[in-house]
Amino acid sequence: MATLRLNALRKTYPNGVTALHGADLEIADGELIVVVGPSGCGKSTLLRMLAGLESISDGELAIDGRRVNDLEPAERDIAMVFQNYALYPHMSVADNMGYALKNRGVPKAERRRRVEETARLIGLEDLLDRRPKQLSGGQRQRVAMGRAIVREPRVFLFDEPLSNLDAKLRVQMRLEIRRLQKRLGVTAVYVTHDQVEAMTLADRLVVMNGGRIEQVGTPMHLYARPASRFVAGFIGSPAMNFLNARLDARLGGDILTLPCGTRLASPIPASGEAKTVCLGIRPEHLAVVPEGDVIDGDLSVRVELVEPLGADTLVHARLDGQDDLVVARIDGIRAVAEGDSLTLRPDPGRLHLFDPETGQRLAPMEPECQHSTCPA
Amino acid sequence: MRYRRRGLDIASHALLILALIAFCLPVWLAITAATHDQASLYTGTAPLWFGSEGLGNFRAVLTEPVGRLGTDVTRLLLNSTVMALGIAVGKIAIAILAAYAIVFFRFPLRRLCFWLIFITLMLPVEVRIMPTYKVAADLGLLNSYVGLILPLIASATATFLFRQFYLTVPPELLEAARVDGAGPWRFLRDILLPLSKTNIAALFVIMFLYGWNQYLWPLLITTESDHMTIVVSLKRLLSSADNLVPWQTVMATALLAMLPPVAVIVLMQRYFVKGLVDAEK
Repeated sequence: MATLRLNALRKTYPNGVTALHGADLEIADGELIVVVGPSGCGKSTLLRMLAGLESISDGELAIDGRRVNDLEPAERDIAMVFQNYALYPHMSVADNMGYALKNRGVPKAERRRRVEETARLIGLEDLLDRRPKQLSGGQRQRVAMGRAIVREPRVFLFDEPLSNLDAKLRVQMRLEIRRLQKRLGVTAVYVTHDQVEAMTLADRLVVMNGGRIEQVGTPMHLYARPASRFVAGFIGSPAMNFLNARLDARLGGDILTLPCGTRLASPIPASGEAKTVCLGIRPEHLAVVPEGDVIDGDLSVRVELVEPLGADTLVHARLDGQDDLVVARIDGIRAVAEGDSLTLRPDPGRLHLFDPETGQRLAPMEPECQHSTCPA
Repeated sequence: MRYRRRGLDIASHALLILALIAFCLPVWLAITAATHDQASLYTGTAPLWFGSEGLGNFRAVLTEPVGRLGTDVTRLLLNSTVMALGIAVGKIAIAILAAYAIVFFRFPLRRLCFWLIFITLMLPVEVRIMPTYKVAADLGLLNSYVGLILPLIASATATFLFRQFYLTVPPELLEAARVDGAGPWRFLRDILLPLSKTNIAALFVIMFLYGWNQYLWPLLITTESDHMTIVVSLKRLLSSADNLVPWQTVMATALLAMLPPVAVIVLMQRYFVKGLVDAEK
């Protein structure tokens, strides 16, 4: 149980490449933080710096208020779950789990008791004498978890622990990790590139891009109020649609004009002269409008591709007379075929505007909310 | 066997049997000859069956000083065993540590160290035998076990093999061990050594045979019979200029010289098989 404080944490490799450009983050006791981002964004580097496997070039890392920059991994009292599990192949499950305790000089009887207790907690009692190679992927994953839990560390670090499992097992283990972490109340940092995993697990999400932290917040906050175009495109599946639009002031309200000529009421006031903005609409915020009910501001599109998912159907469609493709998530029972003409209506309360150059959100940012129940 | 043809079967079996005879006949002759007395060996025909002496010749060479050697074969076997074990164990220990340093530690001139070790692969013992002899003589190592073992104790081949094996160990294993609080020695002892068990067994066999079969170096460095090895003595037994060669003694000694390597291979083979069946990766 611990709090973590990252203060302008930086990583520059000897060859001059900077993998992390100063990360600031406060992690509360018992919180599950998920760090998410595309490959090469520095999220693994960040985690390995927390673990002590990579040195810290600059800045400060503190666990429970104590600076740990120069401590060995073992001295930081952290436990890490690796992507390929990194189980010791020649040791039994019990020895794998008890190795850290053995190195700390915990007596054999005590070690045994703790290993057995942890094994019961995660359902490994019957496998304690097996070798890792005699286990299935999911069981190995469990052993890796058990090895971390048995030490009762102050912080859990997870490095994409589920990416080697099949889809079904992944969902199951995801729930289990969440349940265990809450039950044990241990602070955890979890790195993944899977945004679904990130959304479902996180107390707070950290979205990284190009060695920088783009945004920190609860999953729902990031979904509803992405701070940048990058975050908007990364969080949510399928990804948000982006269209260029012109924002200008008109009598009777500020207007967004799409290249196809469609006009929408702007969610933010125009300032001064007209300018180009990037309009973001999530696929789930585009609704199909029945024929004859079309009003100003609806998008008429031609369907190019239909992906039925069961409950929903993803419709990839082209705006009339334009090259822009949009994706809409519509009800699965609605029959749509390729080549159909449809009218889509954006939810006016859920439009996102971004600066086309900087990618920053062009709306007043509410103060960051701390609860996953925060209103969208 | 996917292709079963009678002609092929007969031909391959004939070849197999021929090879077996070519290999086994000398050994068989050595065994039978070792059980004869000298007189019956000089009748002009090689005996294909056991003679009158039984195990008497073996008992004799093991307990009494043999001919011109001035010592018994027990002593020679002991010398050879000490040398072969010393070389095998020493080579493996040094190679493990050297490879461990080269693969898992970052230190200045690391690459250079590796290449220097690698280059010595190209220098067989015989090439550097004179300078080595000079150094050993100056250090007073003639006629000693240290002198027999030390100059042959480092092995670039073994270092290279261990390096290649260590490079295949996933780096996460080291990281997991670090997180689990294992320092460098613990990682070596608890993780790396158990993982290299089969490599160690294989190298032990090879290096033991290498040590046991050394001829030139023991010949140079030992001048007295109490440190002579059995392989060197065998040659010496044959070179009796003015006497009849005591073939029954030579054969008995040769057979005894074969036993330890055979024993090592038979014993270690069980580890190979275990390692193959129980492959831990």
